[in-house]
Amino acid sequence: MAEKVYKCLSPVGIQEAVDLVPLAPRLDTLKGKTIHLSICGELDIWAPLEKRFKGEFPEVNWTRKMGYTPQPVKLTEEERKTTDAVILGVCW
Amino acid sequence: MNYDEETVAMKAHMELYGVPNMRNVVASRNSPGGVEEAEKVMPLLLDALTKPLTAKEKKKGKWSPEEPRILFEGSLEEAEKIYKKTEKIPGLLNTPFATYTDGMPVVIPTEERVKAMLKGTSHKPDEMITIQRDMEIRGPGGGGPGGRGMRKKGELVVFQPMFRTATVEQVAVNAVMAGCEPEYFPLVLAMAESGAGGARGNGGGGIVSGPYYKEIGMNVSYGRFGPGNPANKTIGRVGSLLWRNLGGFKDTVTGVSVTTSYSNPMTNGGFLFAEYAEGLPKGWKGLNEELGFKKNENVYMPMQPSHFGLGQIHMPGVYRSLQRTGHGAIARYLGVKGIVGPHNYIEFLIKGVFACREGAITMVMPPQIAQDMYDYGFKSKSDIYEYIWKKSFEPIRDYRMRGTPDESTNGWMGIERTSGKHWKELSDDYMVPTNGPSADGNCIIVCDGQETCTERFGGGHGAAYSIDAWR
Repeated sequence: MAEKVYKCLSPVGIQEAVDLVPLAPRLDTLKGKTIHLSICGELDIWAPLEKRFKGEFPEVNWTRKMGYTPQPVKLTEEERKTTDAVILGVCW
Repeated sequence: MNYDEETVAMKAHMELYGVPNMRNVVASRNSPGGVEEAEKVMPLLLDALTKPLTAKEKKKGKWSPEEPRILFEGSLEEAEKIYKKTEKIPGLLNTPFATYTDGMPVVIPTEERVKAMLKGTSHKPDEMITIQRDMEIRGPGGGGPGGRGMRKKGELVVFQPMFRTATVEQVAVNAVMAGCEPEYFPLVLAMAESGAGGARGNGGGGIVSGPYYKEIGMNVSYGRFGPGNPANKTIGRVGSLLWRNLGGFKDTVTGVSVTTSYSNPMTNGGFLFAEYAEGLPKGWKGLNEELGFKKNENVYMPMQPSHFGLGQIHMPGVYRSLQRTGHGAIARYLGVKGIVGPHNYIEFLIKGVFACREGAITMVMPPQIAQDMYDYGFKSKSDIYEYIWKKSFEPIRDYRMRGTPDESTNGWMGIERTSGKHWKELSDDYMVPTNGPSADGNCIIVCDGQETCTERFGGGHGAAYSIDAWR
């Protein structure tokens, strides 16, 4: 006698579809640009890194926001308009 | 820029946020002072900012992985092999990790069994899991980084960490796998509504309040977490399955290694119990009433229990001696030797309870101890919450030396809640509570038992999810 065939259901949830976004255009030069440092978690390597960025690239307008959790502190709408690039670093 | 062990999680996040090709630079955790590492990553970061985009990086599109409703068709024996499937997790040294289960054998969720489970609710199989009422969400212990926020009725529940959603049927599949009965299903759905202990909760834990516990035969007496009671064990277990299958799994430091080195031993296999409201002293509210529901309404309160057994421990007879004859260790500690009770057992219980941890606590109290505390003068649970909270104050200079406030105060950049001032404005002598921002974060549950010790663990009050809404 043939073994009974069962339909067995998947326990996995639904992964909602996501629209994929192209990366923002890269910078042609650093000179005069506003680059935002988004610091999350412990300062760790951010401390020497920020110092070097500012020391070696004084022509860049460096901005920063810092929070202690892995979630970045968001830029305001106005800040988004005037920021050319973001470096997000999670030292968690 | 991320540390090495977070790369898999980072890439998963990139996908979830629609930028799978986002450039990332990986750093090492082991650079003394970070100087060498900063030197190493700086050119890589600048390169990532300036190097022209590739065609792949400019690509638009849609990411829509699909999971078939039917995982497998065949014999039960063959199905068992499929559900036992494992995958290798790099962050766990490529150890096998169960793809669909908690690592233990499961009941195979055939279409017939799932259909039978769905008879436990009036909700339709294809209905999405959503929030069932407008409600306030409180972080564990009523504060901390989780904070508070509002959820609206009808809001889609998104399971962490992979931001998945689920139907009633998908939850039923997990309930079948855990070995639940259809009458348990409204509670399982309430657990799903709560987010099923997502993120790093590993399924979390929870407390049931209301007469429903009798309907489904939950053990509210001795051995609540022990073997033997089908309801406590199987419903408790389903939390891990929901976490695995609805939440998904990401190989991440916070998820598997640093903070959960042993996973959460308290929730392993299910940390679920129910309140024995019949044992409450007159005037003390049940958990359901504390959370805004009526006595006869049934709720599930999720929690992430921790620090089990914190504070003082003692043998049952020591408590009896304290209250009935005024003898023994607790009587000596309280200075009431030879005086018949009721005495303030809470004062003894919380000695040193905040020495090494902060935040709200949950106490599970046998009826006799609850009655003694009522007779002593704590006419409500809130009186005890307030008493504990007031005892927990210490100067900021000491509070700064603790391990977790760096995070809970967001690096001391936030507002201290008792003063409404910035942390950095307050003097070293200013007294702050170590028991969480408010007394109502604490939680007392009365469970059956005679002269057993009061159990204590970290956690405290959370949000309430109606079980009745899912009937």
